[in-house]
This record gives sequence, structure tokens and C-alpha cells, in this order.
Amino acid sequence: MHQGWLILPSIFEGMGLNIPHNVLFSWFVLLVLVLMGTMVTKKLSLVPSGLQNFFEIVIGGLEDFVVANIGEAGRKVFPILCTIFIYIWFMNLTGLLPGFDAPTANINTNAAMAIVVFLYYNYWGIKEHGFGYIKHFLGPVSFIAPLMFVIEVISHISRPLSLTLRLFGNIRGEEIVLILLFTLAPVVATLPMYFLFGLAKTIQAFIFFMLTMIYLKGSLEHAH
Amino acid sequence: MIFNLKNKSGGALEMLLNATTIGLHLVTATFVGLAIGYFLDKWLCDIGWCTKPWMTILWLVCGIAAGFKNVYLEVKRIQKAQEKDDDARRNPPKD
Repeated sequence: MHQGWLILPSIFEGMGLNIPHNVLFSWFVLLVLVLMGTMVTKKLSLVPSGLQNFFEIVIGGLEDFVVANIGEAGRKVFPILCTIFIYIWFMNLTGLLPGFDAPTANINTNAAMAIVVFLYYNYWGIKEHGFGYIKHFLGPVSFIAPLMFVIEVISHISRPLSLTLRLFGNIRGEEIVLILLFTLAPVVATLPMYFLFGLAKTIQAFIFFMLTMIYLKGSLEHAH
Repeated sequence: MIFNLKNKSGGALEMLLNATTIGLHLVTATFVGLAIGYFLDKWLCDIGWCTKPWMTILWLVCGIAAGFKNVYLEVKRIQKAQEKDDDARRNPPKD
């Protein structure tokens, strides 16, 4: 199906490349983030202004939040947490630009990120505790340990699934509502929704970030 | 800080955050349990050791238990956060 109102896919289709929309738009977000990063780090000043100010507030606030929740151990996992928040946030917000589609409205993007999170927190658990990481799965009492092991394995596998579905459902739903409202009353009906969805998309990015942080906290601390 | 959601909206945003996380945790664990049981049954039948409905039922029950465990942990986390909050309100930090 050809969708002429989506800018990037039209360009790439014109070039004869058939790349899925969500991949294209997440490349776009990556490009924007890399450009912003180079722009900020090129001229760092002690008294921040403009873009540097914005990034210092976001990253500084996130770091305080992570260290307050995980403790000092949180500093070594902070880079990926911050990346997740900013990346998802920008991906969600691209859905509000005319001519763009949110990559997170496609379940594949979210599943990829959720699987990365799943592997990453288990990696830290194994790195921190070695074979003793299995204690996280056995529960507090020894005689129900086999049952607890089964339940814990199910609940761990359910984590990436719930991360994926929550983000996908929310963002996809917002996109659909925007389209429906636009067909009802162009621009007039969609404009107020932008404020609500701008907030909701930020909250969804924050929820993904916060759950990742909670999972990492669980794998970093000792089992009890 | 900007991520201190509580100060701006009186805790409504944080409650929204908690409310949206709890429901899916219950549901997804159930479905993971069901899927494991279903495909285990299928695979066991293929290798000629058929236990048709039983694995599905067993793993579904385990999945439901896991879902409730998830919700319980989530509630405990919220409770802890609220206690911390109440303490902070009762003994405000001195400047």
C-alpha cells in the first residue's frame, strides 16, 4: 500500500528501497539524536544555555532519580536507562509530527527494546552474583523452591511482553485517535489532543524507563 | 527536579503510572503460562508422549499464580514508596 503522506517512506520507495516504516522512522530519530548530541558537545560551556540546558536538566534529573532509587550502583547502569528514556521519548513524539509515524506504534520496535532490556538485566544479575543469581528465582522458603522457580521464570518472561504491549497499545491507540479526530474535524479537533498526547507519550517513555530501572534494581541487589 | 512527579500534580501522575503497570503484569504472566503449557503439550504429543490437556492446565495455573505474585510485589513497592512519602511529610527536612 502506498502512503504518500508519510514523507520518509515515500522518498525511500521512490529510490526503490523497501524498508519498513518503523525502521525508517527510528533511523530518523537516531539521526536527530546524534545530531543534537554533537551540537551540544561541540560547544560546552560552564554556564549552560539553550540545548545544553535542556539536556542537562533531563539527564541530571534522570540520574538523580536513578541514584535515589537504586543507590550508587545505579550509576553504572545509568547510560542505558537514560538512552532508553530519551530514545523512546523522541520516538513517541515523532508520532505528533505531520508526515511522520511513531516507530513505537509498531510492535517490532518495542519488542526489540524489551528484549534488550530483558537480556541486559539478566546479564547484570549473572555478572553481579555469578551462579548465585539463581537464588533470585527460588523464593524465600526452601521447600516450595521448585514451585517458586516455575512461577518466577514465568513472571520474568512476562516482563518483556508487558513492556512491549503497554508501549505499543498506548502509542498505537493515540495514533488511531489522532487519525479519527482528523477525519472528523481537520486540525480543530486534533490540536487540543496534542497537549494531552504530548503528556501521555512522555509518561509512556517514563514508565518504560522506570520499569527497566526496577528490573535492574531487582537483579543488582541480593535476593531475600 | 522535573522527575519529581508528586510535587506538581499532588500524586495523580504517580498513581496513573502505578495503575497502568499493575493490570498488564497480571494479564501477561497468565498468557505466558498458557503459551508455555500449550506449546509444551504440542511438542510432547509430537514426540509421542501425549499429556494433552494437563500441561496446559498446570502451566496456566502457574501463570495465574505468577500474575498474582507480580501484582503483590507491585503493591508492596507502592506501599513502601507511600510510607517513605508519609515519613518525609511528618518529619520535613530542616534547612
